[in-house]
Amino acid sequence: MKLNFLVAPDFAPERFAGWHMLNTVLQRRSGIHLHLLTPADATEQTQLLAQQQVDLIYANPFDATDMIQSQGFVPFARPRQHYDEMVISTAAGNGLLKVEDLKPGCRIAITPNKDVKLIGLRLLEPADLNDTLIEWVPVESYQAAARLVIKGEVQAAFFLADAYASLTRLTRNQLQVLMESRISDISHVVLAHPRMDAELPRISEALLGMGSQPSDAAVLDALGLARGFESMSREDADFMIDLMDTLLD
Amino acid sequence: MALPDMTAPAEGAQEATLTYTDGSSRRVFTTDTEVAFPDGRLIVSRTDLQGIITHANDAFVELSGWTREELIGAPHHILRHPDMPKIAFKGLWDTLAEVKKWHGYVKNLRKDGSYYWVYATAVPNVRNGQVVGYTSVRRKPSRTRVAELIPVYRDWLAQEKAAT
Repeated sequence: MKLNFLVAPDFAPERFAGWHMLNTVLQRRSGIHLHLLTPADATEQTQLLAQQQVDLIYANPFDATDMIQSQGFVPFARPRQHYDEMVISTAAGNGLLKVEDLKPGCRIAITPNKDVKLIGLRLLEPADLNDTLIEWVPVESYQAAARLVIKGEVQAAFFLADAYASLTRLTRNQLQVLMESRISDISHVVLAHPRMDAELPRISEALLGMGSQPSDAAVLDALGLARGFESMSREDADFMIDLMDTLLD
Repeated sequence: MALPDMTAPAEGAQEATLTYTDGSSRRVFTTDTEVAFPDGRLIVSRTDLQGIITHANDAFVELSGWTREELIGAPHHILRHPDMPKIAFKGLWDTLAEVKKWHGYVKNLRKDGSYYWVYATAVPNVRNGQVVGYTSVRRKPSRTRVAELIPVYRDWLAQEKAAT
């Protein structure tokens, strides 16, 4: 039997090896053959989900909400104390010091990550900015967003905080953080398709047990999830879904 | 649960008596000190169906001035500031009863009598088709909107006092 394990395409490139390492460990400990799917972008992820090819998924919270509510996916784990935060950054030395310095009509670079846009828009409310008052400049990667900021083609860019932290030092030295979220209640979620009910206990035990053996530290470090994973109940997920709901408008 | 009266600060506070929807009353002391909503944070709380706080995140604890132990089990109106007119909350409970989302700009009272402004959102927690409680998230408000609402709330409050 082979199960497909999809990882949402918003992790930094250097984490790629870590996901393959985790996949290998999970296979060995669960005795279940796992095929890792790493879609290049949100569109490819949507296509794979539409083809009913996904059995396990490490999903961003926005997508997880829809998968739980509309498709019956079962939440069972999340990274321990590792939250989805975002950064609004501008170019160093351009005179913008706080989000209130951004004005209607400003250009902001943004990747397809819906969670980042949602949280970022809430952080811009004190500046009296909303979706329609911003000229969005879509980009495919956080590196591309950083380039546009540094070249002065946009006033700011939205970043997943992890992605911002993984930019090179040279890049970050040319940027300046205007605002960073500290929400601590929103995280990625590991979900299982309801058809893998029988296999879920073995997968769950293997994932939640990461960190129990000395060799696990290298895998978790490679993932950037040093504290491993913790159990997530349906109520935990519903709590996060309610919270996300309050941020929609 | 009836809240105890506040202790009067050393000086410079205004005294008021609040009467809540559950019929209980409380003497509060307020000051003109505003505490800024911290950048990047969200205040998150949950209540049961009676409005009793069951969850308070770190930002709620820090900004309210109460300890988590004091907040859990207390009615959510522990945050009620006497400058807030009742009509500003009109529709809150009706909206939630219709299993819909409520938004509003709110001046909240801290334990020490100072205050902070928030943009509040409340949603019902629906589990298996039943509303089992409420989640409230408060975020940093637009100062433009707050400035617009201060005189509006003041007028509403004056009208409420004139009517009693």
